[in-house]
Amino acid sequence: MTWLSNEAVDRLRDVATRPELPGDRYVILRPLGRGGMGRVYVARDNVLDREVALKVSNAPRASTALDERLKQEARVLAALEHPGIVPVHDSGVLDDGRVFYVMKLVRGRTLTEHAGDLTSEAARLAVFERVTDAVAFAHSAGVVHRDLKPANVMVGAFGEVLVLDWGVARRLDQSSDAEPAGTRLGTVGFMAPEQSRGDAASAGPSADVYALGALLHWLLRGETPPRRLRAIAGQCLAASPADRYPDASALAADLARYRQGAPVSALRESALERGWHWVRRHQAVILLVLAYLVMRALFAFARRP
Amino acid sequence: MIPFPATHLSILERLRGGDPQVRHAAFGDLAEGYWRPSYHYLRLQWRLAPEVAEDAVQAFFTVAFEKGYLEKYDPSKARFRTFLRVCLDRFVQNLQKAEQTARRGGLAERLPLDFPGAERELAERASVDLGDPDRFFRDETIRALFGRALESLRRACDAEGKPQVFRVFDRHDVRPDDETSYATVARELNLSVAQVTNYLHASRRRFRELILTHLRDLVADDHEFQAEARDLLGLEVEP
Repeated sequence: MTWLSNEAVDRLRDVATRPELPGDRYVILRPLGRGGMGRVYVARDNVLDREVALKVSNAPRASTALDERLKQEARVLAALEHPGIVPVHDSGVLDDGRVFYVMKLVRGRTLTEHAGDLTSEAARLAVFERVTDAVAFAHSAGVVHRDLKPANVMVGAFGEVLVLDWGVARRLDQSSDAEPAGTRLGTVGFMAPEQSRGDAASAGPSADVYALGALLHWLLRGETPPRRLRAIAGQCLAASPADRYPDASALAADLARYRQGAPVSALRESALERGWHWVRRHQAVILLVLAYLVMRALFAFARRP
Repeated sequence: MIPFPATHLSILERLRGGDPQVRHAAFGDLAEGYWRPSYHYLRLQWRLAPEVAEDAVQAFFTVAFEKGYLEKYDPSKARFRTFLRVCLDRFVQNLQKAEQTARRGGLAERLPLDFPGAERELAERASVDLGDPDRFFRDETIRALFGRALESLRRACDAEGKPQVFRVFDRHDVRPDDETSYATVARELNLSVAQVTNYLHASRRRFRELILTHLRDLVADDHEFQAEARDLLGLEVEP
């Protein structure tokens, strides 16, 4: 029998699972990654002469739950045309029945790898707001991601921020029969309590809000963020979905208020605090008015008989 | 659609079925799939001398068949592969405790196994990680499984009068070098690039089928077949 080295075994394992693509439009170049649902390859699109990412289901037979989920992922992505969400170009079925889809090849680093380069709170918040905007768009289209975490955010070479891996996303207008009670979807540490309990089917936009709160908390780890920002993260991470922001749009709005120095809905502040924030937010105008008043006073004083 | 192994009887069902011929055949499949990892395991993990390891493997499979050890497997406790390795450990421990030699001249049947070949394979290994016995046994099982599938592919191609199909697969997928491409293989074997593409397409599919066929003979039941296919190949299969 032929002796197989470890390298040969690895190569043959890759060969055994490598998709046989129909036609000659796409040629697999190399594996890119592997997840629970499928494998992602770098492929060449011979028609458009560019490299793309090609995701193939792990299930070798059509009509399995995994295939359905991969189809669902492709459909979700196709419905979400947003700069922060990876666009899908094509989809199909291999000769062996496995489902595949073709998407933009994102070149960059995951947020897990990139976070160390974000040295200021402003830089971290800028990335976080881009993620929140993409998720807010998905929520407005009736889609919940359900597995937001640093590894599923890609930061490109030109600063573009993309939310990846919509494999366990759910369309709110569709039945969740495929996910019986007890199904746990998500990642520990970023998973909402209702997801941890195995109640994946009922995880709505507020479950994503929880994951975003965990992401914000992760981005700000090791720091003492301002009280209002802590309150925003705290509201995201409330144990009860009813106590969180209802969706990512509400969170995005509060983040914008925070960035502008306006009162945030997550924190009930005293009149003095609100006044102080009002002063800080309008300090230029206040200074101008004060300067004007001082000038008027000086002028009046000088003209006094 | 990937064709699945023709038999739908699990190895446990075949072992426990009561038909002596079916049981014997099932045991033959098991021994064929596991003897090589078992031999390498005893040589490297147990540090047995080649002739002692050879006899221990022969004795283990023979005694396991005679005494019905493997029929006692409980799927709820561990993978069949792990169960078999633990049985092998206990068997060798008992042999050593009793200060018996592993040589059992009185065995009714000796399996026709290529121990010199398995010994040569050990000599070809650059390094071995012996830290985790279960991991080692698993990796050796995968190696043997892929080796068997490769050998089956070669035989099938020869039998069908298509040895070039196997040569293309062997050259491109099993023993490539830095320069290997469809074009270099085509030149080397005097074929067109289109032929190389087609041969690879056919041989890869056949190879995957053969892996699944042989894997089916190494696991206890459908549930384990699915779990092993997932672990070894990353494939979700439906038996």
